[in-house]
Amino acid sequence: MKKLIALLLAAVMTLSLAACGSGDEAKNSDDTKNADSSTEDSDQAQEPEDEGDNAEAEGDDASGEPYKAAFLVNGNLGDKSFYDSANEGLTRLKEDLGADAFDFKVEEMGGDPADEANWEPTLLDYCDTGEYDVIVIGTWQMYDALLSAYKMYPDQKFIFFDEPFDFEAEGNPDNIFNMMFKQNEVSYLVGAGAALMTTSSEIEGIDPANSIIGFLGGMDGVLINDFLVGYIQGAKDVNPDIQVAVAYVGDYIDSAKGKDLSLAQFQNGADVSFNVAGNAGLGLIEAASESGKYAFGVDSDQAALLPDYAASIPSSALKNIGNALYLAIQEDMAGTLAYGTTKSYGFAEGGVGLVMDAHYEEILPESIRTKLAELQESIVNGEIEVKSAYSMSTEEVAEVVNSVKIQ
Amino acid sequence: MLNGIFSVEFVNSILRATTPILFATMASSVAAKAGICNMALEGMMLLSALFGVLFSALGGGIFGAATGLSQFASFGVGFLLTVLVGGIIGMIFAFCILQMKADEILAAIALNLVASGGTIMLLMAVTGEKGASNAIASVAAPKVTIPLIESIPVLGKILSGQNLLTWLSLLSVVVMHLFLYKTPMGLKIRAVGENKDAAESVGISAKKVQYIALTISGMLASMGGFYLSGGYMNMFTRDMAAGRGYIALAASSMGADTPIGGFLVSILFGIAQAVANLMQLTTIPMQLIQMIPYLTTLIGLGVYSYVRMKRRKRLLQSE
Repeated sequence: MKKLIALLLAAVMTLSLAACGSGDEAKNSDDTKNADSSTEDSDQAQEPEDEGDNAEAEGDDASGEPYKAAFLVNGNLGDKSFYDSANEGLTRLKEDLGADAFDFKVEEMGGDPADEANWEPTLLDYCDTGEYDVIVIGTWQMYDALLSAYKMYPDQKFIFFDEPFDFEAEGNPDNIFNMMFKQNEVSYLVGAGAALMTTSSEIEGIDPANSIIGFLGGMDGVLINDFLVGYIQGAKDVNPDIQVAVAYVGDYIDSAKGKDLSLAQFQNGADVSFNVAGNAGLGLIEAASESGKYAFGVDSDQAALLPDYAASIPSSALKNIGNALYLAIQEDMAGTLAYGTTKSYGFAEGGVGLVMDAHYEEILPESIRTKLAELQESIVNGEIEVKSAYSMSTEEVAEVVNSVKIQ
Repeated sequence: MLNGIFSVEFVNSILRATTPILFATMASSVAAKAGICNMALEGMMLLSALFGVLFSALGGGIFGAATGLSQFASFGVGFLLTVLVGGIIGMIFAFCILQMKADEILAAIALNLVASGGTIMLLMAVTGEKGASNAIASVAAPKVTIPLIESIPVLGKILSGQNLLTWLSLLSVVVMHLFLYKTPMGLKIRAVGENKDAAESVGISAKKVQYIALTISGMLASMGGFYLSGGYMNMFTRDMAAGRGYIALAASSMGADTPIGGFLVSILFGIAQAVANLMQLTTIPMQLIQMIPYLTTLIGLGVYSYVRMKRRKRLLQSE
């Protein structure tokens, strides 16, 4: 009996830990990230715009106080991706506008289960000071905290990123700006790239005979499936006969399991895969490296971060949250930020991007690169509309996945 | 799917999934035989996974990480140091619950939490990264190729080319069985686990015996942890133990805390995991597939309890 109780306890612990673990990681991985290298192109594109906003910001300045933002991180900086990207965007804005026009404070609230209880009180404390023009928070984990905060402080403005805010259900509050990222767009490009690669005879280690590609997701949720739906659409558009081996790790931490799942995909004919599974996705990258195959990176420029495995990583899908914040806050300074609405940042807005550097050019032959550039162009000008899992039912997503399953 | 199951790779994936659990199951068995539920396995594995990377990199610095003898030497240094530290962690855990009389479950939870946060902190201190240890050039455990056997079709590919630690984990089952049932110390451990007071009445120091059992437990768990980052994967990633310590606890319990029983259950878990991995390639809904390892545990527990209940009834009747 005693043993049984011990056993049950162990089982409960396992489950609860698994739950905590995945929740913890979700923000790290899903709520995807960005590497500095990719932002450069878009920075340049923004320059003229910046100057215009500069003038306006200076105009505000005359009235005294700088515009102040608080960025509450439900995790820690130093993740080399998601939160660091946001921090980088704010830092860049401060540098560009000057500290007397824009200032911000970052509060690292910690991401461990034990820290979660502090998130909401911290948010309310910040609202209570009334010092900040805008409070920036993000990820689904902060949703409940935001729900209580925006009601208690109707005059406080919030930017809420990477989780859709249900404006209708909440009675259309006008103090929240919801910032979303079109990961499906960049994922479309990755899918097309993978599909083109797997039948190419120009790339080392690829068997052009079959057209199978892989996908490794963290958990079966809307955000991961948003990546997946775009990935499949892109792959199908360039090769209607494409087959996609889809696997989910079940969490975002079990890299060893991610590696096993990926090895099974590669052994069954996949040549290229895409990891959207946080740290578990590192297992895919190792598996690709060991099998002499390829894996696309996600969140950050993983080829740059993992030099030992770079030869297996043609490119990475990025979410440039820093860019989006940079733009949104300037809009807010000018008074044109559309509070009470959701805005999605895609290719056109510089919110997402595919790393296209020298390393990318080295691995992918020119024909594929040209095609991908064309596809990106078509997405930007609206010729291609990428489906999103956010506007699909679970059944519709399953239908898309099943249409490309290996027979 | 069927092709997948009858392939050499499938057997290999079972062994990959089993190895870390098997080490931890042995660790759990020896502690349980001494009357302690070692719930800290998870944390011990996680800490050792990081130490494995750090120490084998240290070894690599001394001997070089090239293949062959120098790889073996680097791995050897890393492995021995990791196991040593694993033993020390086991001792610290023993100190907490035996000397300081902390509750063993609470102490274990504390150790697991420390491991989760502590590994990230240590990783951050050493590499400046928080997620993975890719910046450290660690040396993985070498694979063992057996010259003649290698050329036998199918069987040769299974027997040869396995990770050294996989062999070691299988060996640990035999060693633990002999240790617990054929040596005086093993007898003492079992006696203490069975009835502490009775054991003390015949002059056995229960505390000393439990210290030894937990040290061995820590060493075995650290071997499992080393395998995670230096065999299964070639780097440390945060929280990479991912519940394997708890699974091992269940495996050990289901195997009646005997090495042989624990071994069989670990293999069962390994098979369940490997089948689930393969089945993700099919059109069966993923949610059902992810249930398989847990369902196996549940069914296994049910069968185990049923058999035990029957046996107890029979015993009562015979009395």
